[in-house]
Amino acid sequence: MAAALRLEGVSKRYGDFEAVRDLSFEASPGRILGFLGPNGAGKTSTVRMILGLSRPTDGAITVLGVGDARKVRDRIGFLPEERGLYRRMTPVDAIAFFSQLKGMPRAKARRRAEAMLEAQGLGEAMRRPIKALSKGMAQKVQLLAALAHEPELVILDEPFAGLDPVNQMSLEAILKSLAAHGATVVFSTHVMEQAERLCDQVVLIARGRKVFDGGLFEARSAAPRTLLLEGAVTAADALALPGVAAVEAQAPGEDGGLRLTAVLAPGASGQEALRAAFARDLDLTRFELREPSLYDAFIVLTGGARPEAAR
Amino acid sequence: MSRLLTIAVREYLAYVRTVGFWLSLCLMPLVLALSSQAPALLEKSSPKPVLTIVDLATPDDCPAEVQTCLYDPVLSLRRTVEDRLKASTAYVVVAPPAPLRAARTPEAVGAEAKRLLGGARPPGDGRIDAAGVVYRNNGRIAVDVWSRDVADRDLTRDVQDAVSEWMRRVNLQAQGLDPMLATKVMAERPEMHAFSPKAAGGGAVTDRDRLPGLIGFGLGLLLWSAVMTGAGILLNSVIEEKSSRILEILLASASTTEIMGGKILGVAGVTFTVLAAWAAMGTAVLGHFAPALLGDVAAVLLSHGLLAYFAAYLVAGYLMYAALFAAVGAYCETTRDAQTLLGPVMLILAVPIIFMGQAISRPDAPLLQALSWVPPFTPFLMAARAASHPPAWQIALTLIEMVAATALVLWIAGRAFRAGALSSGRPSLRALIGSVGRGDETRAPD
Repeated sequence: MAAALRLEGVSKRYGDFEAVRDLSFEASPGRILGFLGPNGAGKTSTVRMILGLSRPTDGAITVLGVGDARKVRDRIGFLPEERGLYRRMTPVDAIAFFSQLKGMPRAKARRRAEAMLEAQGLGEAMRRPIKALSKGMAQKVQLLAALAHEPELVILDEPFAGLDPVNQMSLEAILKSLAAHGATVVFSTHVMEQAERLCDQVVLIARGRKVFDGGLFEARSAAPRTLLLEGAVTAADALALPGVAAVEAQAPGEDGGLRLTAVLAPGASGQEALRAAFARDLDLTRFELREPSLYDAFIVLTGGARPEAAR
Repeated sequence: MSRLLTIAVREYLAYVRTVGFWLSLCLMPLVLALSSQAPALLEKSSPKPVLTIVDLATPDDCPAEVQTCLYDPVLSLRRTVEDRLKASTAYVVVAPPAPLRAARTPEAVGAEAKRLLGGARPPGDGRIDAAGVVYRNNGRIAVDVWSRDVADRDLTRDVQDAVSEWMRRVNLQAQGLDPMLATKVMAERPEMHAFSPKAAGGGAVTDRDRLPGLIGFGLGLLLWSAVMTGAGILLNSVIEEKSSRILEILLASASTTEIMGGKILGVAGVTFTVLAAWAAMGTAVLGHFAPALLGDVAAVLLSHGLLAYFAAYLVAGYLMYAALFAAVGAYCETTRDAQTLLGPVMLILAVPIIFMGQAISRPDAPLLQALSWVPPFTPFLMAARAASHPPAWQIALTLIEMVAATALVLWIAGRAFRAGALSSGRPSLRALIGSVGRGDETRAPD
């Protein structure tokens, strides 16, 4: 199946500053791609180039089969990181307006807007000015405005920011539904749990360069597995266990002992370390093998920038 | 095209649906009507200044042949000056109060006048608001005018005119002319007839022939206000969209041309609605109170294609300035940012205002003609010169020049708008010019 989105060796320079360097990746129809990276990594510059809002300095971008996204803008849905709507407009007018801009006839756009607002529990607010809505409600309206014309490629910049957990769940369901219906969803987020729950593919960039492109399992593999040890144990005890490459953190434990996080060497077995701990009669109250999360992988791959801190 | 219209309709409705729009629409003609009546209302509601004339120029011991002056209705200084000032109806002229009558030198009169005028205005008789002291200074007539109001230049001029008239009478009498005859001679005025080949009748100039000059000036001013108002609305609209990040979504949904075109068209609709409403109100008021004048105004507007002439310059001028303001707005997140960038444009816009008034009396002045060829001034000055029916070649060439200039401004503004819409940080003239060259944003997004 042809990729809905393809970037080949894309770079973007602003004077002497290179915001994006030699970036290549693909997104296939019906899949959800997480576009992750710390602040200043080049995500917004990349999104603007994908949308045809700015020109790449080098490289080529193919969107829905064409070399210029502006030719297929009716088939793209876009939600920018910084939200904005006409404050005096009503939700139904706003969604209908943006759908009309995407080529939907006025009457159909209004019907679709009303139906979407009802479905998302905003039926009562649909004719109130947006300035009278809560931030979460307004954000939902803007998301609906980006999706109302049933786009084939959806690009969402931090779509979960500012939403409460219930609305986040609701948005996750919408994105899964879009992908299930064949749309390609590209979204950026700093909430790694959401990316883990939603993404089929992850593209990680840092300082303008791609540092990872692949599935979630592969991404997690980039970070080492760790052992959580708690009890009357020292860092030297932990380092002496087979497969332990380093002790990353230590803190006072709940029972007066220490809590250590030991990093396992690639390919090392947690079972072997456990057996050795028993054999050496270590006084452990807790022994836990932890698989790396996307968060851990993010930190390793981006060179230590934590997602929250990066914001 | 449908996107352009969708944006235009939204822009139009966004303004027309506000209460402020309807308030401005209705209140502006009222304010204009009130301001035109303001001087008369002010004069009617203010008490006339009480003025007195102190004559120190006619000596008490003047020769016998001059003694008659004091009683002569024509040669008496005080009487001449008082009659002249009374005739103007702008003042209440009274005899000098006792303290002024008692003083015999200009300095003494001045000291008394200062005392009388310096305090609160006393009620009832005996109060004065101004005093004119006429005396001789090294053989020449001099006048000191004392007034409560330092800004009243009319008073000084009126007293000067009145004293001048007395001086002329005395001089003519000294040359042996009968003072009564001299007064009559000075009052003589010829019967004037003005002719011009450009007059409607081909000869005699009537008030109706002067009407096009006034209408041209009015239309020039109207065009200037329409451009300023429309471009101002557009500027604020773009700033609002930039600051609320709507512009980025619009750019992902429509081309720069469609967004700018839609916004310019929408605001043009607002401006046209306002002009049409005011024109309707003006027609109704004139039709009721001055139907003849309405007929004359309509005849002038419909003759020589003046309406089409004005419309052409309105469209070109509006497009040029609207595109410019929209491009500047795309760089700004606050009106304060816009003010710094628009400073030079506002200075340019002030120039036509300075010269438009001249076009009423001298529409073909060489400087006005020369300035009419400068595109930023062309729409306003050509509208103001409409009365003189500029040559067809000038109209055609300035319109062609306007179309070319407007196309250039639209092209430049389009590139600047696109780059400005995506720009971040503090706007600068350098960034604006740089982005026009590149046609792309100059800084990485935050």
